[in-house]
This record gives sequence, structure tokens and C-alpha cells, in this order.
Amino acid sequence: MFARIYDLLCSFVSFIPLECMQMRFMQEAFIGILLLAPLAAAAGIQVVNFRMAFFSDAIGHSVFAGVAIGLLLSVSPHWSMPVTALLVGGGIMLLKRCSRLSSDTVIGVFYSAVAAAGLALVSRNPGVAKDMQTFLYGDILTVSGGEIAYLFILSLAFYIFQIFAFNKLMITGLDEKLAKAHNIPTALYEYIYVGLLALIVIVAVRATGVLLVTALLIIPSAAARNLASGAGKMVFFALLFGLVSGIAGLLLSAQEFINASSGAMIVLTASTIFFITLFFRKKG
Amino acid sequence: MTNTLEHKNCACCHEHPSAVKIENLSVKLGGISILDDISFHIPRGVCTAVVGPNGAGKTTLVKALLGDVDHTGKILFRQEKDGSFTEKRPVFGYVPQRLLFDRLLPLTVMEFLAGSFCLRPVFLGVSRSFRNTAEEYLNEVDCIRVKDRKLGALSGGELQRVLLALALMRKPEILILDEPAAGVDFKGEKLCCELLETFRKKQQFTQIMVSHDLSTVAAHAAHVICINHRVFAEGDPEKVLTSRALLDTFGLHMGMVDLHKDCHCSCHHHGGK
Repeated sequence: MFARIYDLLCSFVSFIPLECMQMRFMQEAFIGILLLAPLAAAAGIQVVNFRMAFFSDAIGHSVFAGVAIGLLLSVSPHWSMPVTALLVGGGIMLLKRCSRLSSDTVIGVFYSAVAAAGLALVSRNPGVAKDMQTFLYGDILTVSGGEIAYLFILSLAFYIFQIFAFNKLMITGLDEKLAKAHNIPTALYEYIYVGLLALIVIVAVRATGVLLVTALLIIPSAAARNLASGAGKMVFFALLFGLVSGIAGLLLSAQEFINASSGAMIVLTASTIFFITLFFRKKG
Repeated sequence: MTNTLEHKNCACCHEHPSAVKIENLSVKLGGISILDDISFHIPRGVCTAVVGPNGAGKTTLVKALLGDVDHTGKILFRQEKDGSFTEKRPVFGYVPQRLLFDRLLPLTVMEFLAGSFCLRPVFLGVSRSFRNTAEEYLNEVDCIRVKDRKLGALSGGELQRVLLALALMRKPEILILDEPAAGVDFKGEKLCCELLETFRKKQQFTQIMVSHDLSTVAAHAAHVICINHRVFAEGDPEKVLTSRALLDTFGLHMGMVDLHKDCHCSCHHHGGK
């Protein structure tokens, strides 16, 4: 059932009149980007508005620990990575809520710990170093059908959650006491948000690698903030910029005169959009 | 022990039954006792002022009321349904002292209000009917002109009025104002207090005002509670604010507060200019 829909989508995408789009892996990557780019941009809206860029960076680095734990327990990294990311995200939130340490200190501790776990592993068996490269640089071109299906389900879950939670997270982000006065279960919403964000970051690492994963999330929203006067417009612009930079970056990377890593090209395109929006910035 | 000396001959408490009963409330933060075994009642349908110097635990008391801090002891609210007292929290309207938020956040006043009430996420737009209600309330607090401005572009006074409109729109059973005088100019403050009186008559809510500004309290509160980690006095403003308890709460300098109205005005002119 899924395979047939997937084939249909691929042949649909192949109608794009570009030479590169005749190849199956490009069609798959294109569908992957169609799902991932707006999802990452949507998740990035709150990352930017609540200043969580460092947080998403820490989650990104947890893939190292995720791979390490997977090897130690001999489970597939497809399982160990998202589980580790969830634990790291939840752990940061828990420590932030229960201790009086500032959030960047808490994140800094987790960040270093998960990165160190990865380094320790690589130094122990150099054979893994090559696997690690996949996560450092990412590669959307090798995305599999199963991953696309996972991405689709994750997108659906995230968008449905946002329809219910967007307003509540907004008030919580403005002032937690105000949210409490409005009887919003702030902790519940924050934990669910952080959980979904962790899963999204892990998928995004597949596309752009650990180094650039935060960029995929925050640059569309940062550009949107330059133009938007309200929350509604910001969501619209962020999704638009995410989608445009994702598609343009992927297609550019496949052109012969560029022939560069697709993750890097996507982030470069997004950055270009950001710098252009700087000139149209809204004052006040 | 709590000093409830003034309480027994408090006219306000005779006329108005309680809305909130606080019994042996203690709050510790990081091993330091912020509120130490305090007990008092808040009368229903009138304005109660909680006064005390900076660091007396006023904001912590508000947090405890809102359920935002761990505490021992009991906070009981009167239930509209049957008049019994339980720990179930009523509908609060809360006007914070200030919002510490990112001033560049793209969020309009209308979206902020809609986000607080509507189920529909604000990125799908704000419904016509909500817009009308919100405009009505913004009009009442004399702030209709800011409805499509960015929240971060508002002045302190405008922001506080928007927050007041938000609190009133909730049709609260208890309205809590944290330092309402901070950030509002003299004219704005007077308007705010008059406005609150009108609304209180219309909506019949209980108002709790936390303040270290005694002149505001003297002019507008019907019941006063002095706290400084413990309750030092509670009762009618004329009695409490001239009593020895005030001296105990605030220290020496505040002992000579004059309660005449002209003092109230002149104090604020000094502050404003």
C-alpha cells in the first residue's frame, strides 16, 4: 500500500523538467525535502521565539551518544538515536525546571556529555569513524522509503500538536506565571514540544548533518521574523522560506556546475534568503 | 504566631464573607523561609491590598495563590457552586508586574489576546466575533489604538492596560494585580483604579492588589494585609496603615505615612516628574 503510493509520488515528481529529477534517488530526496523542510521550519518558529537554538544544537549532538549507545547495546541506531535524543531533551527540561541553574548552563553540560560520549566511542574503535561522518555531514540523497514514512507520521503528529498547542506555548513562552493563571498545564505542553522537537532534529541530522542541523530549523524563522509583524505572518513566511530553500538547495546541489553537498546548499540558500530579508526588515 | 489583632474589629470582614482562606501557609525557596506560617482571609467582592517592603514575600504569595510554587499549609478558595471551601482554584485574572519577554517577538496585541482565549491557533487567523469582544474590552481600558501593534512596541502603561483587558476578559472570580502602580503614569494609575472599581461592581470579582506603594493602597483598598515573611497586621486601611504594625513591617521611615488624599497626589507628582 505505502510502497505503491510512494512509487506514484516518485513518478509524479519526475515530471519536474530537470535532468537530475529523472533519477530515483533524487525523486526520493525531493519528497523527503518536501516533508522535512517545512517541518523543520515550523519547529524552528518556537526555537527562535523562545531562544532554544542552543538546545536544538545539543539534541543534534546527541546523535553521537545515540550511535555509541546503539553499538554498546547492539541495537540499530534507528532506534537508539531517537531514544537518546528524547532522553537528552527530557533531561535538559527536567533539570532546567527543578534546579536553579540557568538553562544555558544545563544545556552546556548535556551538550558536552553527549559529544564526549561520541568522541570516546570513535577513539575506541576507529572503524566507526566513517559511520560518524554520515552524521557529521548528513546526506538526504540516501533517504529510504521507511524514513520517508516515518517523516510523514512525525509531520502529522507535529502539525496536529501545534494546532492544539501553538497558542498555549506562546503564552507560556511570554510569561509562565500568566500561563499558570490561565490554568495551562505548562509542563505537559513543554515536554511534548521538546519530545517532538528532539525527534525532528534527529531526522534533520540525516539531511544536513550535526553541524548544520540548527541552521535548517532556525534560519527560515529568523528570516520570517525580519518580515513579519505578527505571529500568523511569521508562521506563513517561515514555512515558505523553509520550503523554497529546501527545494532550491536540493536542485542546485544536483546541477553539474555546482555538484556540492545538498545539505550545505540548502543552508546556503536559506542564509541567502535571510540576508535579503534584512533589507526589508520591519521596524517597531 | 500570626498577629490578628486588627482583624477582630475590621468592618470589612463583617460585611463581606471570605473568598480565600489561607491557613498556616509556609514557603521555602532554596532553604530560606520566604513565607513563615501565615494565615489570613481575603474578603469577597472587595479590593484587598497586600503590602510589605521589597523582598517581603509578596510575589511568592501571589505565586502560591496561582499554584506556581510548592508550599505547606492550606490555601482554600470559595467555590461558586455551593459556597464550600476547597483547594480547587477559581478562575483567576492575573496582571503581572511586568512581562519579561522578547520585545522583538512578532506578536500583535490582538493575537496575544486571541492566543489566551481561543482554541483556534492564531496562525489560522482571529475570528470576527472574538475580535469584536476584544475591541470592546480594549476600548474600556482606553487602549483600542494599540490593537494591531506589536506587543513589544507598547509602552509600560499600554502593556499593563492590555494585560488588564486580558484579565477582565476572563471574567475572573479573583483578580490579582502585582504592583499595579509600577510602570504606569499617574493619570494612568488613577484611571486604572477607577476602571477596576467599575468592573468590580459589574463583574463582582474579588480583587487582590499586591503593592509596596502605601498611598495607592490607602486610596483604593477596603482591606489591608501587611506582610514581611509573616503577617504583621490585617484589617481596615485606616487602622492598619497608621498602626504600629506598619512600623514593624516596613521599618522606621514608613511610620509617618499620612493618609490624606492630597498626600496621595503629591507623592505621585514627585514620582512622575
